Amino acid sequence: MTSDTQNPPTPPVTRGRANKTISLVWIVPLVALLAVLFIAFRAYSDRGPLIEISFENAAGVKADSTELRYRDVRVGLVEDVTFAEGLDRVIISVRVDKEVAPFIDERATFWVVRPQVSAQGVSGLSTVLSGVYIEGFWDTDAGTPQTRFEGLKDAPLERHGQEGLQLSFRASGRASLMEDTPILYRGVTVGRVGKPFISEDGASAEAPAVIFEPHDRLISTSTRFWDASGFSFSLGPGGAALDFSSVASLVSGGVTFETMVSGGEPISPGATFVVYPEESAARSSLFAGDDSEVLRLSVVFAENVTGLSAGASVELNGLAIGEVTSINGLIDPEQFGDNRVHLVATLAIRPARLGLAADAGQGEALTYLEDRVATGLRARLASASILTGGLKIELVDVPDAPPEELRESEQGTLYLPTTDSDISDVTATAQGVFERINALPIEEVMVSATELFNSARGLIESDDLRAVPENLNGLLGDARQVISSDEVQALPEQLAGLIEELDRTVESFNEAAIMARLGEAAESATEAATGVSDAVEGVPELVEQLNTVAARAGEVEIQQLADELTELVRSADALIASDDTRALPGKLNDALAELSAVLAELREGGVVDNAVSALDSASEAADTIAEAGRDLPRLIEQARAVLSRANATLEGYQAENGLGRDARSALIEVQKAAKAVASLARAIERNPNSLLTGR
Amino acid sequence: MEVAGDLRTAREMGLVACRQCMRVSPRGAETCPRCGGALASRDETSLQKVWAWWLLGLACYVPANLYPMLETRTLVSTQSDTIVGGAIDLAHHGAYGVAAIILIASVAIPMAKFIALAGLALGVRYGPQLSEARRHLLYEVVEYIGRWSMIDVFVVAILSSLVQLQALASITPGRASLFFALSVIFTMLSARSFDSRLIWDSDSGAQEHSPAPGQPQEDLTA
Repeated sequence: MTSDTQNPPTPPVTRGRANKTISLVWIVPLVALLAVLFIAFRAYSDRGPLIEISFENAAGVKADSTELRYRDVRVGLVEDVTFAEGLDRVIISVRVDKEVAPFIDERATFWVVRPQVSAQGVSGLSTVLSGVYIEGFWDTDAGTPQTRFEGLKDAPLERHGQEGLQLSFRASGRASLMEDTPILYRGVTVGRVGKPFISEDGASAEAPAVIFEPHDRLISTSTRFWDASGFSFSLGPGGAALDFSSVASLVSGGVTFETMVSGGEPISPGATFVVYPEESAARSSLFAGDDSEVLRLSVVFAENVTGLSAGASVELNGLAIGEVTSINGLIDPEQFGDNRVHLVATLAIRPARLGLAADAGQGEALTYLEDRVATGLRARLASASILTGGLKIELVDVPDAPPEELRESEQGTLYLPTTDSDISDVTATAQGVFERINALPIEEVMVSATELFNSARGLIESDDLRAVPENLNGLLGDARQVISSDEVQALPEQLAGLIEELDRTVESFNEAAIMARLGEAAESATEAATGVSDAVEGVPELVEQLNTVAARAGEVEIQQLADELTELVRSADALIASDDTRALPGKLNDALAELSAVLAELREGGVVDNAVSALDSASEAADTIAEAGRDLPRLIEQARAVLSRANATLEGYQAENGLGRDARSALIEVQKAAKAVASLARAIERNPNSLLTGR
Repeated sequence: MEVAGDLRTAREMGLVACRQCMRVSPRGAETCPRCGGALASRDETSLQKVWAWWLLGLACYVPANLYPMLETRTLVSTQSDTIVGGAIDLAHHGAYGVAAIILIASVAIPMAKFIALAGLALGVRYGPQLSEARRHLLYEVVEYIGRWSMIDVFVVAILSSLVQLQALASITPGRASLFFALSVIFTMLSARSFDSRLIWDSDSGAQEHSPAPGQPQEDLTA
C-alpha cells in the first residue's frame, strides 16, 4: 500500500444517525396508508345496509358464506347468525348491496332455498352442493327501505318467473288442495297452488294461488274452479264411464277452471274462489250465487219440525239471501229453561244479496240486520215445497213484535229471534182433498145417469109418448071446437043480461023477504023493462017474458041458484070487463031472444041445473087454462132446454144408428108439439079471450 | 471473526467504499469510478428506510394473519383457513411436523425478523445491547433467511395451480397470501435498506467515543 493509504487524512467522522434529511422512502408507507384509507373509505361508502331477517331456524345458513340472491344474482351476504331475544327466532344479518337496498321495502319477502323433492319434482337441487341461499323477492319500485323482516317458512307463490294474478282458494266439500299443484286450463299449466292452511274459523282449507301472466285474463267473476285430481267412475244407462283429466293430475293433483258464462267482471288480486270437488258442482254453483264472505247466524226454533235440511234457502221478502248450512239439536237448560232438544239452524247469509253496497262485508250486513231486528224482523219456518213438505226459513217483519235483538252467545254465535212458524200442512190438506174426491159416489152417479138415459130413451121411444103430441093436438082441437061452438060463444052475452037481472033479483031478495018482495022485483023488472023498452024495440015482449020469469022464479029453488050464480058472477066478472061485454047492449036483443028460449027450456025444468054445472065446469076450465097459459112459457122454455140437451146428447150417437134416428124423429115430434104448445101459449097470452071467443 | 479492535473501517481510513462493486474510493468522490454508483460513506437515510419498510411489512403482516390464507372448496364444503388456524387444524389431525414447519416459516421467522430489524435499528440509534459481531451475524441471518419466508406463499401458489378440479375440489389463495407476500417483500426491503456499516459506527460510538487512529486495513468488510 502507499503512504497515502498508510496515512490517509482522517476525515471528519459524522454519526450515521445524525442525518437530518428525510428519505423519499417514506412516500411508500404514506401511499400505502392513503391507499388503505381510500380503500377503507370506499369500502365503507360502498357498503350497503345491514338487514335482519328472522327465521324459525337457520338450517344451512352460515355467516360469511350464505348469499342473499335476487333473481339468482348475489346481492348480499350473511354476516351474522344470532338468536333473537328469548331464543325463539333466529336472526340472520345480511349485508345487502347498496344498489338494491332502496328496493328492499316493506313488501320484500325472504325465504331460504333448500333442495325439495315432491310429487311435482325436485327443486333447489343446486343447493345440495353449494349450500342453501336466501332468496329475496321485492318489486321494482323503490320504497322506504326497512331493516327488519320476517322470513318466510316456505317459498312464496309470488316469485320470479311466477308473476301473475294472486288468488285465494277455499276448498269446498271433498275438494282437496295440495301444495304446488298446478292449475290447468285445457291441459296447460297456467298457475300454481300455494301451501294450504286451515282457515281461522276452522271451517275450511284455504290456499293461495297464482295465475301466471298472461293467463290471468281468463279469470273473471264467473270463473269456477274445481278439483281435477283423482278420477270419477259412473255407471249409468249410457254405460260405465271413467273420467280423469290426466295421469299427471291423477298423481299430483290439479285444479282446473272454466268461465261458465260470459259477462263476468275482472278480478282484483287477492279474490277468493271456491274449489269445488267436481265440475258439476262447480257448474251448479254458478247459479247458486257466489260464495263470497258470508254472515253466519243461528236460529233456535222451539218447534221441532221435520223437513228443514242443510241447503234450505233463507229468504227475505221472497229473495234468497242465504242458505241453511247445518242443523243441530241443542240442549241448554239455562238458555231455554227446559231439557228439550231445540232445533238450531245455522244460516249463512250473503251480504251482497241484502242489497247493500257491493263491497259491504259482514259488519255492514250485521248492522243492517240488527236494525231490522229492532224493528221487528224475525225468523220463521215456512213451507218451501208443497210436494216434498220441505221447509225454508223466512225473515219476516212482525208488526208489534215484542222487542228483541240479535243475541250473542258466549261462543260468539249470533242468534236471530224467531216468530211463529207459517207451515201450511199442504200434504195433509192435499190428502184430504184426494180422500174426499175418492169418497164421491162417482160410479153410482154414472150408473144412475146411464139408467136415466136408458129410461129417457125408452120413454122417448115409447109409442105412448109419441102419441102424446097427437092426443094433445086433438085435445086442443076439441077444446077449440068446444070453445068456438056457437053455444058457448053465445053463452056470455046471454048470461050477461041474465046475470044482471038475477043480481038485482038476488039483491031484492036480500033486502026483503024473497017471496014477499018478488012482486017488487017484478015491478022493478017491469020498470027496467020499461026503461029498456024505451030504447029498444020489442021490450014489452021482453018485459012480459021477464014477468013470466019472475013468476016462474018463485017456483025455483032460489037459494041454491043464487049461491051458484054468485059463484058464476065472480068468474064471469072478468069476462064482463072485456070489450065484448061492453058490446053487450048491442047484442042484448039477440041475447034476450036467446034468453027467452033458454028460459023456455028452463021452464021445462032440469036444464038450469045442467047449465049451472056446465058453466061451473067451464069456469074452472077457463081458470085452469088461464093458469096453464101463464105457466106454459116457462114450461116451454124448460122443455126446450131439455130437448136441446137431449138433442146434443143424442147427436153423440151416429145418425145412421137406428136408435139415433128413432130418437131424433121422436124428438122432432116432441119439438113440433112443443112449438105448437108454444104458439098456442103465445096466442093465449096475447089474447086470453080467444080461448073463450075462439078468435 | 476478527477482533474488532484490529479492524479499521474505510471511513476511518478516509475512504469510501462502493456498496455495489466494493471499490474503495478516496473520500469526497461522488461516484464510483468503476461502476458509476453513487458513493456515500454512510447511508444517512438508512434508518428511515428501514423503519418505513418495517412498518409497511408489519402493517401487511396483520391482515396476513387475520384473513384466510387458503380457501379449499370441495364438493360438500368450503373451508378457508388462516395461517395459524390452518396450522392448528393440522396439529389436530396429528400432522405436528407440518404444523411446526408452517408455524416456524410463517409465524416465528417473520416475527423474529421484525424483532431483529427493530433491534438492529434501535441499536444503531440508541446504543447496542449486543456486540458488534453478534449484531452483524444477526443482520446476515436476517438478510439470508428473509427470502425463505416466501415458502408459505409458494405453497399456496403451487397448491392453487395444482388443485383445480372444477366442481370436485379447488384451492384458491386467500386474501392473506397477498398480504403475507407483501409483508415478506417489505421486510426484505427493510433488511436491505439497513446499512450494516452503521453497526460499526454505533459500536465505535458506543464503545470508543473517539475513534482511534486505525491502522491501514486492506481487508474491509464493507
